[in-house]
Amino acid sequence: MNRLTRAGSLYFLPASLVFLLFYYWPLVMNGVVSFFSWNMISPRMRFVGFANYQAILQSSEFQKVIVNTVLYIVFLLVFDFLLPYFFSFVLSHVLHHGQMTYRVLLFLPSLLSLAVTSIIFLWIYNPIAGPMSEILGWFHIESPRWFKTPYYVLLAISTIVGWKFFGYNLIYLLAAMVSVPKEMIEAAELENASKWTILKDIIVPQTSSAAMYVFVLTIVFALQYVMVPINMLTQGGPDQHSANLSYVIYQYAFVFFQAGRSAAFAVLTIILFALFLLWRGKVAEKGVYYEN
Amino acid sequence: MEFKKALCCAAAGVLAVAAVSGCGSDNKKQAPAQSGQKVTIEYWHVASDSFGGKMVRELVKDFNEKHPNIEVKEKFNPDMYKGLTQNLQAAIASNQTPDVVQMGWDFLYYADANFKHDDINKIFEKAGKKDFVKETYADNIAKLAQTADGVQVGVPYSLSVPVLYYNPELFQKAGLDASKPPKTWDEVHAYAKKIKAATGKPAFFMQEYADTWTNQACVESNGGTMLVKKDGKWQAGFDTPEGHYAYQMLADMVKDGSALHATNEEGFQAYTSGNLAMVCTTIGKRANFEKSSKFKVSMTSFPAFGNKEVKVPAGGNFLMILSKDEAKQKAAAEFIAYLESAESLYKWDTGTGYLPPRKGMDTYGPYKKLMDENANVKNAMATLPHVVPWVSFPGNNGLQCEQVLIDARDVIMGGTKSAKDALHEAAQKINSLLQG
Repeated sequence: MNRLTRAGSLYFLPASLVFLLFYYWPLVMNGVVSFFSWNMISPRMRFVGFANYQAILQSSEFQKVIVNTVLYIVFLLVFDFLLPYFFSFVLSHVLHHGQMTYRVLLFLPSLLSLAVTSIIFLWIYNPIAGPMSEILGWFHIESPRWFKTPYYVLLAISTIVGWKFFGYNLIYLLAAMVSVPKEMIEAAELENASKWTILKDIIVPQTSSAAMYVFVLTIVFALQYVMVPINMLTQGGPDQHSANLSYVIYQYAFVFFQAGRSAAFAVLTIILFALFLLWRGKVAEKGVYYEN
Repeated sequence: MEFKKALCCAAAGVLAVAAVSGCGSDNKKQAPAQSGQKVTIEYWHVASDSFGGKMVRELVKDFNEKHPNIEVKEKFNPDMYKGLTQNLQAAIASNQTPDVVQMGWDFLYYADANFKHDDINKIFEKAGKKDFVKETYADNIAKLAQTADGVQVGVPYSLSVPVLYYNPELFQKAGLDASKPPKTWDEVHAYAKKIKAATGKPAFFMQEYADTWTNQACVESNGGTMLVKKDGKWQAGFDTPEGHYAYQMLADMVKDGSALHATNEEGFQAYTSGNLAMVCTTIGKRANFEKSSKFKVSMTSFPAFGNKEVKVPAGGNFLMILSKDEAKQKAAAEFIAYLESAESLYKWDTGTGYLPPRKGMDTYGPYKKLMDENANVKNAMATLPHVVPWVSFPGNNGLQCEQVLIDARDVIMGGTKSAKDALHEAAQKINSLLQG
C-alpha cells in the first residue's frame, strides 16, 4: 500500500527538487564558503582550510557568544514556556470567570511587530527618563543601565522577546489544556485530589506533546527572535555581551563582510542544534504522550 | 497512461523550478550607450524621507529636466552606509552595479579595495571638467576622500561635525550662565558635576552609535592619532597617553555619575525629554532635536583639551563613480558637478543640516546669508578648517577593527577596565587584524 511506485516518485520529483535547490544547496555552499577567506564579491577567494574554525574555537568571543545563547534560551524558556504553561493552567482549570477577557488581553502584545516592541521597551528601560527608572526611584534605587551592563542586557532583551511571544504560546498551550478530558479531572476531584496532584499527574502528562512542541520551538526560535532587538538596540554590545550565535553570523557576513568566518559560525551553529534535536528525539521524546 | 501523465507533470514541475532559479542569473546587460542617445544612470543614497529624501528627489528631478540626454534614477537604501554597502555587495555580485553611490567615510578603504572604480580625476577630465576636484574643494576637504597613497576614491559631498548640544534651562537650574557653554572638557566635567548636584541626574552624554566617530574626535583633539604607519605597515595609533586620557576622561565622568553611559537612543531621549543637560553628537541631529524638544536646543562647538587644537573627523558621505561605460561615466560626472554646485549644495544642506564641502560657500551667496542668520550654522562652519579624515581601517578585516574599538569603549565606559588596559588590548587585536 505505502510502497513508492515509479509514478509516485515522479510526482515527488518537483517538490524534492525545489527542496534540494533552495534548502540543501545553500547549506552545502555555506559549508564550502566556510573554508575560504572571502567577502562575497571579490574574485579572490582564498582557501584557508580550517583556519576559520580554528580562529573561532580559540577566541574568547566564541565562549561569550555560547554563554549568551544559552542564557537567552534559559530566560526565554521561563518567559515563553514556563510562564505561559502556568498561566494556561490557571486560565483553563483554576479560573472560573473572565477567561475570555484574559485570553484577549494576554494575546494582544503578540500583534505588535518585534521592531515596535523593541522601541517601546527602549523607552521603558531608559535609565533616566523611562517609567522603570521612576518606579525604581520610589525605592531609592538608581536604574541600572540596562542595555549597557553585561547580563542585564540579556535579561532586558529577553523580556522584549518574551513579552511579544508569550501570548502566542499561551494560546497554543491553552488549547492543549482544555482538551484534557473533563471526566479524568472530575474523577480525580471525586477522589479529593489536590489541584497540584491534578496538574502533576493528569495535566502535565496529557499536555506533554503540546508542551514539547512549544519547548522545542522556544529554543529554536530563541536563536532568531532576539536578532531584531539586538540589531536595533545594542548591535551586540556592550562588548559583545548581547550577541548570540545568529547575530554573530549576521555581523561577520554583513557588517564585517567576512563571509568565510560567518559561514564557519553558521556550520558550528547547525552542529550544535542538530545535537540538540538528536537529544530531543532520543531522550526527551520518551516521556511524551501522543494521543494517536 | 498513468505513468505518462505523471511524467508530464514532473517535466512541467522541473521546468517551473528551472524558470524560478533562472531568474537570479538573468543579468541586466550593461549595453554601452551610443552618443546622442539618452543615458540612464543609477544614483544610490541613504537619505530617508525624514532625512533629506525629499531633497534628493527634488535635485534629481531638476537635473533630469535640465539635461534631456541624461536620466538619473535615484534609489534609497535603508540602514545608512552599512545597509547601502550590503546592497551594493549584492548588486555587484549580480552585475547590476549602480553608477553613483553615497559612501560613508569609514568605508573609504573597504570601498577602494572592493568596489572597482576608475580614477575619478580622469573621469572628470574626459567629461571636460579637468581639475574639478582641485577647483571645487579645499585641500583638507578633498583629502578626506583620499587613501594614504593619494588615491582619490570619490569626492566629498555631505559633511558633518560633532558638536555639543545643551539645555539652557538645566544650566540655569544649576546656577550656570546659559550664554557661556563649556569650551573645554574640564569645563564640561565641572558643569556636569554642578548640574548633577542640582538635579540629581547625569548631565552629559556622548553618542554611542555603532562607530567611534566622537571618540576619534577626542583622541585627535588631545594630540593623539588612531592609525599610524610603522615600517610600511599600518598599526593602531591610539595606545598612547593622549589616547588613554581621551577615553579615561569620559569613563571618569560616568563613574562619578555626572555622565550617562547608555545606548544612543536612550541618551537622546533623555536629552529631548529635558532630563539631561548636554549631548555630544553630530550637527546632523540639530533639526531632529529642535523638533522633539520643548526647551530651546542650544549648541556650541566641540570642546577642546586645554588649549590644544580641536580636530574633528568628518562625518557624512562622499560620492563614488562605479560605472565602467564611458558614456555613463560622463553622465555621472555631469550629475556630480550638478550636485556639487553652490546652488544644489545650498538646497541639500539646508534640507539636511550637513555642511557644504565646496570652497567659498562661506563668502558669497545664499549659504553665506544662512550663516549670518543662524549662529549654530556659523559655529559649525568654523570647525571646517579643523576637519580631519574619519579613520577607515585598511585591509580585509578593516571593518572589524572598528568593532574592536566599539567593544573597547563599552569596556572602558562600563568601568570594568581602565582606558590604558582596554586600549592596549584593543590595539593588539587591531594590529593582528591589520596583518591578516
